[in-house]
Amino acid sequence: MTRFLVRRLLAAVPILFGVVFLIMGTMDVIPGDPAAMMLGQGATQDMVTRLRAQLELDRPLLVRYVEYLERLAHGNLGRSIVDDRPVSEEIAQAWAATLELGAAALLLTVVFGGLIGILSAHWHRSLFDGASRVLSLLGLSMPVFWTGIVFILIFSLWLRWLPSGGRGAWTHLVLPAVTLAIPSVATIARVTRSAMLGVLHEDYVRTAYAKGARGAAVLFHHALRNALIPVVTVLGLQFGQVLGGAILTETVFSWPGVGRLLVQAISSRDYILLEGGVLVLAATFVVTNLAVDVTYAYLDPRIAYR
Amino acid sequence: MASLAGAALGSVALPELASAAPTRGGTLTIARPVDATSLDLFKDSSAPASWVYGLIYEPLVTLGTNMTVGPGLASSWRVLSPTSIRFSLRKGVKFHDGTACDAAAIKFNFDRTFNPKAPGIWASFAGPVKALQVVDDYTVDVVATEPFSPLLLNMSMVHGGMVSPAAVRKYGDDFGRHPVGTGPFKFEEWQPRDHITLSRNDDYWGDKPSLDRIVFKVIPDDSARMIALRTGEADMVLNPLVDQLPALRHDPNFTVAGVTGTRTVFLSLTLTQPPMDDVRVRRAMFMGTDRKSIQANLVQSAGTLADSVMAPTVFGYAPMHLDTRYPYDPKAARAMLTSAGYTQGAGGMMERNGAPLALSMISSRGRYPKDAEIAQAFQAQMREIGIRVDLQLPEYPVVINALRTPTLNVHVLFSAWGNLTGDADFTVVTVFRSDQIPPAGWNTFRYINPAFDKVANAARVNLNPTERKQLYAQAQGMLARDIPFVPFYNMDNIAVMRSNVKGFVPHPVEYDLRVAPVWIQK
Amino acid sequence: MATLPVVGRTRGAASYRSPAAAMWRRFRRNHLALGGGAIIGVLVAVAVCAPYLSPYDPAHQVLADKLMGPTARHWLGTDEFGRDVLSRLIFGSRVELVVGFASVLIGLVLGTLLGTLAAYRGGIADELTMRALDVLLAFPYLLLAILVVSVLGANLRSTILAVGLWATPGFARVIRGLVLTVAGQEYVEASRAIGARTMRIILRHVLPNCVSVLIVYAALYMASAILLEAALSFLGLGVQPPTSSWGLMISTGRDYLLEAPHIATFAGLAIACTVLGFNLFADGLRDALDTKLTL
Repeated sequence: MTRFLVRRLLAAVPILFGVVFLIMGTMDVIPGDPAAMMLGQGATQDMVTRLRAQLELDRPLLVRYVEYLERLAHGNLGRSIVDDRPVSEEIAQAWAATLELGAAALLLTVVFGGLIGILSAHWHRSLFDGASRVLSLLGLSMPVFWTGIVFILIFSLWLRWLPSGGRGAWTHLVLPAVTLAIPSVATIARVTRSAMLGVLHEDYVRTAYAKGARGAAVLFHHALRNALIPVVTVLGLQFGQVLGGAILTETVFSWPGVGRLLVQAISSRDYILLEGGVLVLAATFVVTNLAVDVTYAYLDPRIAYR
Repeated sequence: MASLAGAALGSVALPELASAAPTRGGTLTIARPVDATSLDLFKDSSAPASWVYGLIYEPLVTLGTNMTVGPGLASSWRVLSPTSIRFSLRKGVKFHDGTACDAAAIKFNFDRTFNPKAPGIWASFAGPVKALQVVDDYTVDVVATEPFSPLLLNMSMVHGGMVSPAAVRKYGDDFGRHPVGTGPFKFEEWQPRDHITLSRNDDYWGDKPSLDRIVFKVIPDDSARMIALRTGEADMVLNPLVDQLPALRHDPNFTVAGVTGTRTVFLSLTLTQPPMDDVRVRRAMFMGTDRKSIQANLVQSAGTLADSVMAPTVFGYAPMHLDTRYPYDPKAARAMLTSAGYTQGAGGMMERNGAPLALSMISSRGRYPKDAEIAQAFQAQMREIGIRVDLQLPEYPVVINALRTPTLNVHVLFSAWGNLTGDADFTVVTVFRSDQIPPAGWNTFRYINPAFDKVANAARVNLNPTERKQLYAQAQGMLARDIPFVPFYNMDNIAVMRSNVKGFVPHPVEYDLRVAPVWIQK
Repeated sequence: MATLPVVGRTRGAASYRSPAAAMWRRFRRNHLALGGGAIIGVLVAVAVCAPYLSPYDPAHQVLADKLMGPTARHWLGTDEFGRDVLSRLIFGSRVELVVGFASVLIGLVLGTLLGTLAAYRGGIADELTMRALDVLLAFPYLLLAILVVSVLGANLRSTILAVGLWATPGFARVIRGLVLTVAGQEYVEASRAIGARTMRIILRHVLPNCVSVLIVYAALYMASAILLEAALSFLGLGVQPPTSSWGLMISTGRDYLLEAPHIATFAGLAIACTVLGFNLFADGLRDALDTKLTL
């Protein structure tokens, strides 16, 4: 197991190197100069040139890449071009916000998705099952930013029950978390349902019923544990989806998270912030995948690893 | 010195100056779309920064909301010669860190800004300032390299505020995060991209503020900002959504305060890109643009219809009578294109020698009120007279690129110019003089007219206001004939606030936010 | 969104019927799937017949008529330029479909090339390809698309490329997995034993078995592609005016949410219905194939 872990972690490193290189290369070819933007109206070419030199924006790609990796080895992600703050600080702050949102969304996903999935499987082919299937598909089909806007319209503007954006009291978390969670709830509901259905028809389950075990006991002791395997896989991948979808939710609700930070970094051509941010996101993704694989192996001892 | 009687101030809506005495205390929360990058005026000249540091730093003199110069850190001044002004400093003024604000401090600021090797932002629009000479502990002379009429006005810019030398020495490059000035409010804290907090300066030399605190919040999203105002999360909103203004004006819970600003929004036509070099095509485009409809339906209360390259609030403004010279008339526009050698082709689109009349255009999105909408309306109106406009609405860095690049191959740029000094020189020279083609300046039109240059330069060194006005009228006449642009509106500086926020008077110069005298009625 | 499939064994049919006929029968019985197919059909019809169906020119501006709610003259109201919302929705369907089909096609073609290459060559080529794809997959998907569009400039073509790029790694992985699984089947061994060339084996035996799975994935990716295009347009990085895209309509409709909620609402409904159609179709198809794809 440990050998597997180490191998996977080592394999992750070149991936992250590749991500950094890709970003740096991309930002090189994107039109737009952060120095000119920062100086705004009234800036002379002299000032722009000087600022560019100060920010070391004009050196060749490979040189910057190598220096970046060197700094990275010391845990230094550089300073944001626009804010002049350490990138690690900015990302840590934004990360906390995104994690809060993501955790809330994931909690909703597990609870509601799981519940709906299990119940749908249990009441197979009932009205509940049919309705949940259609609603799940609907949940997957609605653009996240649209549901967010509709929620704001109804709950903030018309009903005045909840705030429309920003981060603060727990009330600020409700709408964005629900918006973000909807596609995940739908996915998990579907996966749980199909996994449970698959398992519920297996011989050993039917045997348990034949021996007189009652509904709930069967559900939880036998079916669920085995159904968990594919569910966990998808859950892990959902985490990545949640992070990806957070960009849109954060924009609609002005949530000060990593997604919004990175979109702003692209808008202001803040290369350094963008590189640091994407690196952190990619690393999280890789680690999460690893964690999923480990849990997978733990749950199903039949899986052998190369 | 040159006093400015601002001509027709347009839609001035002042909130009621309540007869009740101001109440002490309270926090004013102001929401704006973008954060500052630094609170050091050496580095950041943008409005989101100046709105904040305008409360922390003070310049030598101040520009009132009626566009006249009044005392600031200097209690009086005297014109010594065409190139120098003597300022007498107020005594007993201290910076927030306790150090004295005296002639030495002012000299420090000037040396810092006008350092030829590493000038500050203010240096690029303060004009031909040579140096500051210390006469005694409380007297300084500002010296220009040549006779420069707007010199006093330039000293009143919010970007010319004075910083504490001791603090700059202490914090060095980090001063932008620890600003120290003499103003009515002190810096308290800054959460980047979230909010900046200022607190009352209890030792302020002038009228002490009523508010305890001011919080500047960042809410980038337009609709979210307006929603924050409605839910009470913000007390005041800058850059409000124009379409909501009529409803807000009728709502007793809110006050809308606006004044004609000094920023003019226009289309810049690139004269070096054919067919923009043909004045007939430019005139045809102007006649095909329904400016009145755009003003009435899109711009609405965000501004007033522009009749020049600068606003009436600017000294030297002269109306160009554009709607008389080139009235909106699509048929006449087509006729003019025909006279320029174009023929009507398939689908009503104009062409010449088989090539369609197609123009490329770049516009910002959300940078100025209704910029993207006006660009699209313009595109549709050009289609009506047979011109195809390929419009791009890229992100702002790309727009800035286009505005600053020396090799511009886009025909039409959506642009705007805010006059920071209230004097025509700031617009006429920096935007139209032939030596100001990017990246040196902001002559995005590539307008080269030696006669125009002569008039502009003459007006700059002339100290007689009447003569200057005549010269500027001449200059604007030339621009009206050559029409290298299509002006749309003069932007109003509008703030919307809850009706218990009193005492706010909007300033025509948009970088100046006068919230110091504000109080919150309980 | 799609993940690695776990392809199980198909259950044997009780009596022999051609697998295709059995599939079709199951599909027909699934009402939801038929509904999905119908929605897609309607969408394609609308897109093709747009100029005839649309009551107004979608780019025609009447500034004085702006932001009107649904009326007899404008069934779904007007937008901020006085343009007819219904006409813009109808023409917008063209953008959605073009982006959906074209980008999935790109993803499919590139993915097939890469996946087959990796699976068949094995060894170093396999490792390298998969690592490169991993790099792409490690990117938050929206960020990748934003970057591509920022470099290429925002227009229809770069949107298609960006979404196609996003779809490629997924397809590549699926194809690779399928090829690896199927290539081990007996009839392939048999073919090889009698000396058939590699290419022939691929074309004759391997690929046709994958087609059914691919169609399901294609439908699913189409649904996601439309959502991704809407997200890009929403951020202002999609097609440029005056072309109408549903995502762009939501974005601008958002600024007028209080005074004219109908713009954003109808545009969003259009997206939701379209994507639902593809999802229903894919679901029904998957049931008909009766394979255990954990998706």
